[in-house]
Amino acid sequence: MAIVTLQNVTYKYPLTEAPVLQNVNLQINEGEFVAVIGPNGAGKSTLCYTLAGFVPHFFKGELTGTVEVAGVETHQSSLNEWVLNVGLAFQNPFNQISGAKYTVFEEIAFGLENIGVPREEMKPRVEKALALTGISDLADRSPYSLSGGQQQRVALTSILVMEPKVLVLDEPTSQMDPIGTREVFGVIRTMAERGMTVVLAEHKVEWIAAFADRVVALKDGQVLLDGKPGEVLTSPLLEEAGFGISRYTSTARKARELGLWKKDQLPITLEEAVEGFSLTSSPSPKERGE
Amino acid sequence: MLDKIKKDFNTMTWVLIPVAIAINVVMGEIVVQLKLPVYLDSIGTVLVGALCGPWAGALTGTLSNIIWGLAIDPNAFPWWPVAFFIGYMSGRMANWGFFKSWWKVVVTGFVVALTAAIVSTPISVYLYGGITASGSSFITAYLLQTGQGMISAVLSTGFLVEPVDKITTSMLAFAIVQGLSTRFLARFPRPENVSTEKGGKTELFIAVAVVVVLVLFAAFMLRNLMGG
Amino acid sequence: MHERLSFYVHRDSPLHRLNPLTKLTMVFAFILLSFGSPWYWTPHILIVLVILPLSFVGRVQREYLLTAARLIFPAAGFLFLMQSLFQPIGQTIWFRWWVLEVTHEAVAFAFVNAARIIVMVSSFTLLLLTTHPSELMSDLTRRGLPSQFAYVIISTLQIIPQMQAKAQTIIAAQRSRGLDTQSSFVKRVGALVPLVGPLVFGSLVEVEERAIAIEARGFTSSHAKTSLCEIPDSRFDQILRGALIVSVILAFVSRLWLS
Repeated sequence: MAIVTLQNVTYKYPLTEAPVLQNVNLQINEGEFVAVIGPNGAGKSTLCYTLAGFVPHFFKGELTGTVEVAGVETHQSSLNEWVLNVGLAFQNPFNQISGAKYTVFEEIAFGLENIGVPREEMKPRVEKALALTGISDLADRSPYSLSGGQQQRVALTSILVMEPKVLVLDEPTSQMDPIGTREVFGVIRTMAERGMTVVLAEHKVEWIAAFADRVVALKDGQVLLDGKPGEVLTSPLLEEAGFGISRYTSTARKARELGLWKKDQLPITLEEAVEGFSLTSSPSPKERGE
Repeated sequence: MLDKIKKDFNTMTWVLIPVAIAINVVMGEIVVQLKLPVYLDSIGTVLVGALCGPWAGALTGTLSNIIWGLAIDPNAFPWWPVAFFIGYMSGRMANWGFFKSWWKVVVTGFVVALTAAIVSTPISVYLYGGITASGSSFITAYLLQTGQGMISAVLSTGFLVEPVDKITTSMLAFAIVQGLSTRFLARFPRPENVSTEKGGKTELFIAVAVVVVLVLFAAFMLRNLMGG
Repeated sequence: MHERLSFYVHRDSPLHRLNPLTKLTMVFAFILLSFGSPWYWTPHILIVLVILPLSFVGRVQREYLLTAARLIFPAAGFLFLMQSLFQPIGQTIWFRWWVLEVTHEAVAFAFVNAARIIVMVSSFTLLLLTTHPSELMSDLTRRGLPSQFAYVIISTLQIIPQMQAKAQTIIAAQRSRGLDTQSSFVKRVGALVPLVGPLVFGSLVEVEERAIAIEARGFTSSHAKTSLCEIPDSRFDQILRGALIVSVILAFVSRLWLS
């Protein structure tokens, strides 16, 4: 069942001429994990803000077409109702800390306090969310004393605790080192496994390949491709359009030109690449003459 | 009335106020460290006043003053009404369109300075008997020696000391606004207050010249007073 | 100064256990009494017989006395000196020095003013030493203060030290490039620009994302807010607050009566 529906969505920021999103049509089913890829300026962040209600409610500007999440249309709703359905986390973990709280536990409760959850309910919900994202041990620390990866996990937990129907993540690891990236994707994996509806704008293709049910490629504010990761991520259109693609895919594509890649399907993960190359690179014992 | 005020307090305002207070405090400290002859401890207040209206400016000023009083200089404590009115007045001036070009900002700075001088006079006179813990009280003391009345001595001191600081402050706040993108400014409640009018370079020069003259005038007066 | 914005000292004492509003009432009662009482020695008595013992009750005497010695007394002392020397009131001349006359009346006036400043700042310091800012704010929010105020206060307290740290880094960098505070006026003004630019713009640019982040967590939600921590308000607290208010009223009434 579709939980997110975008129909002919076109959007212009205030004081600008060119639309950032053009005629975008997108349907996301409940429980689906959709990755959004695209070069810088393709409209990934704007799409995230649109799903999360900040376009048009916070950024103003001109939005045409319909955006519907959980049966509610964005123009018929206000931002503070919308955020109950859609949770948003974005790049900079430092800026996502409210600043109004001294400990991680309080920080995560901040959203619950704002939406008036009774105190008795609050504590178990925060504890559950902390356990879910594996940061229970940080509960008493100051959010400002944490590493980037830890802060980003706190930001994710702060959103998850509000139990949104859809989780929108705008390049949550773009400012992380490899350790932070792995920590954050650990949380995202948990979300995916629990069947949460997730929209993830991301350019780390290897990670997308590991999680996504579906990949949407944006280019100049328009949907270029929309399909299974194996199809979209290996499409020759991507490289032409200047997308970052998996190094496994690009290596295998070169290898295919040289006749070293025998499978039809190009790989997007290390495992697939290893499997594919093992068909060519390690000759069978017979061939080696043993 | 209340609804109008509420409109000035959107989320951007609430997030800006703490940043503005921090700018006030940190700038104030830096200026002390560099031993400059001004305070510059209300740039954030003027900024909030211009972008979010008089009441947000007043709140920023008051809170800055309380924090400054608690953490840095206890003698600053009783002067919070002055900070309140600096914020309020800069917001009012911006609402009246006086935050759109360099010379208008100089006018704003001057009016804010007069307001500060006037508001601080009763505090100085009734709470402190005219002599406070600020260096400018030397001027007041001198004026009293020359036979001036208490209120006029305190008020003259204020008129002498405030304009340089408040005009510089307003100009710095304006320079900051100039450095921010229109798209960013548009998120605040009153972006129309700071939509810059085309004034060209000459205007900036005139404004700077006015400030330089004021600085020289104040330095001259101070030297005369102190030397005497 | 960096550590001074987190005044709170985590300890258990009767003063820590008082309701935050009671302590806040106490602060304002002391300030009003020191200004409103008709009796000259009120602020002095408050300092010696109330505020100082209270710092022991709150088990923060060490921190309080340290702040007093470093900040409050020097400031009050300076005020006392300025007013004693320059206050043009009084006939009873104690001594003359250069153009200055030090009179009995000026010194008496200065002495009470200095004491008032001490009362003002000391009572606030005691409140902040024994009350966690988030406790104070959630109690006030529960009593009807808009929750945005709580956000502003606590966020400010956390941002200032961060910005101070950044500023100090930049100043250190400037110093290593040859700026010192003894150099010429023009040089010092010139140093201000590269110093302040990144600091100010950096913090302002963050405002938008931070606004989005708290909006995403229901900051402007129209629901009645709730609070994670529960702050007890005992019968004793309520009686104490009543007594403080009555004493302030009595002070002002007697002042009017006597005048």
